[in-house]
Amino acid sequence: MNVDQELVQRVQAGDKKAFDLLIMKYQQRIIHVITGFVHDPVEAMDVAQEAFIKAYRALPNFRGDSAFYTWLYRIAINTSKNHLTASSRRPPMSDVDAMDATNYYDAPELKEFETPENSLMCVELEEAIQQAIEDLPEDTATAIKLREFEGMSYEEIAEAMDCPIGTVRSRIFRAREAIDKQVKSVMGEEE
Amino acid sequence: MAINHLELVSALVDGQLTGSELEQALELINNDSSAREAFMRYQQASDILHGYTRSINQRPLDLTFRISTALDNEPAYTIATETKSTAKLFRFPDNFWKQATGLAMAASVGALAVVGVVQQQSGFDNMPVASVVANEAPATMISQSNRWTVAEPEVEDRLNNYLVDHNEYVGTSGMFSYGRVVSYGTER
Repeated sequence: MNVDQELVQRVQAGDKKAFDLLIMKYQQRIIHVITGFVHDPVEAMDVAQEAFIKAYRALPNFRGDSAFYTWLYRIAINTSKNHLTASSRRPPMSDVDAMDATNYYDAPELKEFETPENSLMCVELEEAIQQAIEDLPEDTATAIKLREFEGMSYEEIAEAMDCPIGTVRSRIFRAREAIDKQVKSVMGEEE
Repeated sequence: MAINHLELVSALVDGQLTGSELEQALELINNDSSAREAFMRYQQASDILHGYTRSINQRPLDLTFRISTALDNEPAYTIATETKSTAKLFRFPDNFWKQATGLAMAASVGALAVVGVVQQQSGFDNMPVASVVANEAPATMISQSNRWTVAEPEVEDRLNNYLVDHNEYVGTSGMFSYGRVVSYGTER
């Protein structure tokens, strides 16, 4: 059983705090999906909130046939479309396949959401993270790349790098700490 | 915060924890604000690496407070997950459509025969007789049908998915609620 399934079962068994972790994990991705439909940042947050609340209410019916995120994603898409319809705006991407919405970067409407400040911040963060990864020792950089870009499990990375799983875990952690340090410096939060 | 705790949080972001370590990590997140912040920072970095950057701002996004506040009045679930898997859906018997088609064809042939005879005998004035005959067959069929439950989990799962999908769209499409056609039974 993966962590998402475990968290879902906990919520279904009455542990509301487990749902907080699911929100923390997926809020960024869900906002990203919703902004494909709703371009105002404040509205997008409201729709995201509504989508999570709908998900919570529907959770007793979630049977785990699909991944939790896939299910949540569908709810977010439908909530966005319903929001646009309710506010008498035609869903702008109704002819775009839902699964493509996440990668629909070039839509001119998205420019409303992507302010110059926000775009600059994104570029700076991406560059900082890339730089942090490049500066890492080779084995640490390899571990984080296999995890983040190839989506490999710790077990698979351990096998690929011929080292114990515990070593993989600490390498990935060290990489994250280095990235975090760079991100903090970009955001002016250096300790 | 201890380094091994942060390492645990990092592994939680990757969803690579099980058993007691998962318990420990969840405890940390729930009770230690620095662990919670670390989780969100690690998650944000991961999201940026995957291109989910549209909501990036000065600080990691956190909707948990407003959502959990909104959910304060919602009841916590107490239903064990196992019980839900026994939810049943009504279904016609497998041979229903075969029987229905046969009966419909028989009724049609009967109706045509009656219409033909009536037309031969008295022209078109007695047409309503045909419709009365045609309506009798479905009535008999319905009275013989039983309530069936879905035996195949795959079919049940698909129907559940349709139900969830449909409910998402019901608010805007003006369609009848799916619940009027398919609903959960109370029997096991």
